[in-house]
Amino acid sequence: MSLRVLNPNAEVLNKSAALHMNINAAKGLQDVLKSNLGPKGTIKMLVGGAGDIKLTKDGNTLLKEMQIQNPTAIMIARTAVAQDDISGDGTTSTVIFIGELMKQSERYIDEGMHPRVLVDGFEIAKRATLQFLEKFKTPVVMGDEPDRDILKMVARTTLRTKLYESLADQLTDIVVNSVLCVRKPDEPIDLFMVEIMHMRHKFDVDTRLVEGLVLDHGSRHPDMKRRAENCYILTCNVSLEYEKSEINAGFFYSNAEQREAMVAAERRSVDERVRKIIELKNKVCAGTDNNFVVINQKGIDPPSLHLLQQAGIIALRRAKRRNMERLVLACGGEAVNSVDDLTPDCLGWAGLVYEHVLGEDKYTFVEQVKHPHSCTILIKGPNDHTIAQIKDAVRDGLRAVKNTIEDEAVVLGAGAFEVAARQYLINEVKKTVQGRAQLGVEAFADALLVVPKTLAENSGLDTQDVIIGLTGEHDRGNIVGLNHQTGDPMDPQMEGIFDNYSVKRQIINSGPVIASQLLLVDEVIRAGRNMRKPT
Amino acid sequence: MREIVTIQVGGFANFIGSHFWNFQDEMLGLDSYGDPLFKTESLNMDVLYRTGESPQGTRTYTPRLLSIDFQGSLGSMSSQGTLYNEGSNASSEVVTWAGNISTQASEPQKKNLFLQSLYQEEQNAPMGNDSNGGTKGAQNEIQDTDIVECLNKGVQFWTDFSKVHYHPQSLYEVNGLWMDGKQFDNYGVGRDVFTENLRGEEICNRLRFFVEECDHIQGFKFIVDDSGGFSPVAADFLESIADEYTNTPVLLYAVRSPGSLMNLRSRKQTVVRDLHDAVSFSRLSSFCKMIVPVGLPFLSTSKASTFLNIEDENPYHCSAVYAAALHSTSLPFRMEPLGPTAETSDASGALDVNGLVQMLAGQSRQNMVAILDVAMPAPSMRGKQDEHSLLQNLQPLTPEVAEDVDDLQAVESMTVHGAIVTEGQRASISEVKNAVNAEYQNATTRPMFCHLSVAGCPLPIPLPFPSIFGNLVGQHGELLGSPISGSISRGSLDVHSIPMAARLRSSCAILPFLENRLGNLRKFGIQRGALGTDLLRSWGFGKDEVEDFGETLSKMVRTVDPHSEISSDSD
Repeated sequence: MSLRVLNPNAEVLNKSAALHMNINAAKGLQDVLKSNLGPKGTIKMLVGGAGDIKLTKDGNTLLKEMQIQNPTAIMIARTAVAQDDISGDGTTSTVIFIGELMKQSERYIDEGMHPRVLVDGFEIAKRATLQFLEKFKTPVVMGDEPDRDILKMVARTTLRTKLYESLADQLTDIVVNSVLCVRKPDEPIDLFMVEIMHMRHKFDVDTRLVEGLVLDHGSRHPDMKRRAENCYILTCNVSLEYEKSEINAGFFYSNAEQREAMVAAERRSVDERVRKIIELKNKVCAGTDNNFVVINQKGIDPPSLHLLQQAGIIALRRAKRRNMERLVLACGGEAVNSVDDLTPDCLGWAGLVYEHVLGEDKYTFVEQVKHPHSCTILIKGPNDHTIAQIKDAVRDGLRAVKNTIEDEAVVLGAGAFEVAARQYLINEVKKTVQGRAQLGVEAFADALLVVPKTLAENSGLDTQDVIIGLTGEHDRGNIVGLNHQTGDPMDPQMEGIFDNYSVKRQIINSGPVIASQLLLVDEVIRAGRNMRKPT
Repeated sequence: MREIVTIQVGGFANFIGSHFWNFQDEMLGLDSYGDPLFKTESLNMDVLYRTGESPQGTRTYTPRLLSIDFQGSLGSMSSQGTLYNEGSNASSEVVTWAGNISTQASEPQKKNLFLQSLYQEEQNAPMGNDSNGGTKGAQNEIQDTDIVECLNKGVQFWTDFSKVHYHPQSLYEVNGLWMDGKQFDNYGVGRDVFTENLRGEEICNRLRFFVEECDHIQGFKFIVDDSGGFSPVAADFLESIADEYTNTPVLLYAVRSPGSLMNLRSRKQTVVRDLHDAVSFSRLSSFCKMIVPVGLPFLSTSKASTFLNIEDENPYHCSAVYAAALHSTSLPFRMEPLGPTAETSDASGALDVNGLVQMLAGQSRQNMVAILDVAMPAPSMRGKQDEHSLLQNLQPLTPEVAEDVDDLQAVESMTVHGAIVTEGQRASISEVKNAVNAEYQNATTRPMFCHLSVAGCPLPIPLPFPSIFGNLVGQHGELLGSPISGSISRGSLDVHSIPMAARLRSSCAILPFLENRLGNLRKFGIQRGALGTDLLRSWGFGKDEVEDFGETLSKMVRTVDPHSEISSDSD
């Protein structure tokens, strides 16, 4: 109350009011995201004020598109988005788990329990669950040749929650193959080496994997070849355009010829660089029908383009920075920063280079490369929001495969882990806990069930029946998940439904932390502004 | 060809940009209608515009522009622009999901009268003619007077008064910030915006799209609203530009609306603001070749708006003045370089971005902070010493500038266009040159060097231009001896075009601006026990970095005034 003396405009919510504000915000956010979860979830179409359409089933994308105002909700949303940044998935699960923890706590708090005790219980339960997860996970051996089947199952589990089945299955192979393509032994997987390119063209099922690279620009000379086979690729970062020198040197001339001569002199150094490239081309291509392609990160101006074209070279300018890296991984050779000591060793190789034009957009395909360590997923779709949605799904799929390889483990999906963990907490952990913290463990255990419950709800099944069925099977010692078609328990191992270990661990880790913080808030102060206005 | 890519970052920068592109659009429109005054052959529009093709195969001509703003700041305009949209109804079916679909439609933003009239016109007019805005109002259902009225009353978004078609790559919305413009008001909150969520990558890619097309890019024109969280976004972006396009000069206009300086209630807010200004200026200036701070705290009462009637709190008004000045300064970049002796009848004094930067910031003193002055409208070039002389009318739009400074080393670049001799008669190029030279001869303070660019075509006033002219401004922008009776504010319906003069100068008049920033940084950030050390730390700057900022600023002060006391103390 002393605050009121200091600032009469400050608004103070205390004790239960503050707590309920937090709980309601968490539940509100949970309600929004709940219907996203699982292969039977609802896709959301967001229509903006100007008629822009966004299509998403991804919790992460949805959170970013929402104009969240409530500070508690923002806190939860930030946690969930951080979850996505770290592990690539699990945004929706994090939000609904936090929401459920708050909801379960509300029951106990309304009965007069102090939040502190609950939070202690959460902490115990969290540690126990993480230990249980270590026992529960299915180890996967990643030798030199990872088990493709398990990777495919993980990818499919993720993709099927984002796309309809046959498209998801088609993308499963693409996603697994592309991660394996960029994987190098003893190095962390760099997913940036998988380029994701999109074309507004044809249909979603035309999405494909290009072993090689697709660049989103073409050559800027009308007479350069549009298609070439057996190409040497020169990847370089050399300015091939005339740039004014830093010092403002004026031209002094008295007639047109002199002026020409001056300009020519200024250009000479640029031309010299071009000539060196042409020399190399002549050296490697002489007497064969091989072709030569220059892909430059810097600019190439029209006179240089003309010279290159005269020499039969295809030249692309201003390539993406990342593509320089990708090109070298895909085609071989090395990226050069100067043309001074060019050798044939710098060159990469591609069997086919061709250009594809769609309206004003040009695409250059560099295909049929020898030992690609970089590849492109080319997404096609009839409109932008379809493409964006497939892109989201592909990103999640890639992350899922990467996580599996790095975790060397997976977790049985379809709610099997959550039910098993809950039984473990109730049947074993709870008994070892002294006093009222037991209730915190219980609340935590019940909150875990939100995943199978929501899966059932989204599939139009009766949640009570499903939970009873699942826990019954678990008590009998069978590890089962939810069959979302029938509502019966089923074995996720048989169905090939696997989740990422690191995603699950992250959810278990971050959810209770945020929930605890929110529960322990007993006063909310905001100076000057009205916080009770509807958001 | 010497292309310029324009970048606009932040709310007020986009307001200015919107006016700026309206001017260009109006010029294109008037040119295609054959108005001899607005012949643009000597002003190459391709410098700012790109040609393209929409998926339907229609040829397009759109600004070479990248605009960055908040999600939702585009109002009723789609972020896909207006030209490249597919049939909007057919595309709304969901093909990627077999399950349930829930649609969440936010309330459609209503198009205002102006945008409605543009839309109507486009429906009626054959393609290709639509670049001309709603100037022929007689047969329109929506009257021009209503449009002007509506715009003067309620402009909320910069798109509300924009009549330009944008390319879909041009409009980037920053999403997922979960805060509104009011909270996004200092350096700290915008710190990670560029790097988070791969935003930076997307932004750089969009820029690359425009640069890749350029055969011979002459520079970037970067307008940033540096009053809030967009300042670090711009700084990070500039850093990546400097890295990627090393030899391409960046001309930076750091703009702010008068409103951004109001509402400082507490001492704490003042400290935040002062530190923000110092940090933002220091960071931005280190990644560009030349920086021009623009934006007076009280534009309406400043000398620059002697003939104007402006409401300070209305960004729609203020941005129009700044946009006009930016338009004038950009004219020399578009003139064809002909060599020193050659001359055409309607333009002279071509300069490219590099040339301008070298001239103002690269000469002896290396002062990279330039002052923007404007005379809007420019007085007549009669050459007589009547009450309005050009040099007296040129008043700064840069804040905290010293007046009446005698600087022997000052360098200036002036652009005069559409100047008038007597009522109804345009001055020829040579007349303007003579008049300006004569003025300098008579002036008490003279710069070391002045580059003069002259163009024949005045600033066209498009329909959505706000009614900000006072009653001393005539139909062609001439200054009248006696006020016109009637309304106090005159707008696009009464004034068709105005002569303009604008000047960029590198002078020690900028000294107070620099000293204030340096002083504030020292007082609140560097000194022992300063009020703002914790704040700066929360913005992610360690002690060393803050001292570096101080060093940058004091170096700038020293360049302008080697004897300055404030720059020399270093403990």
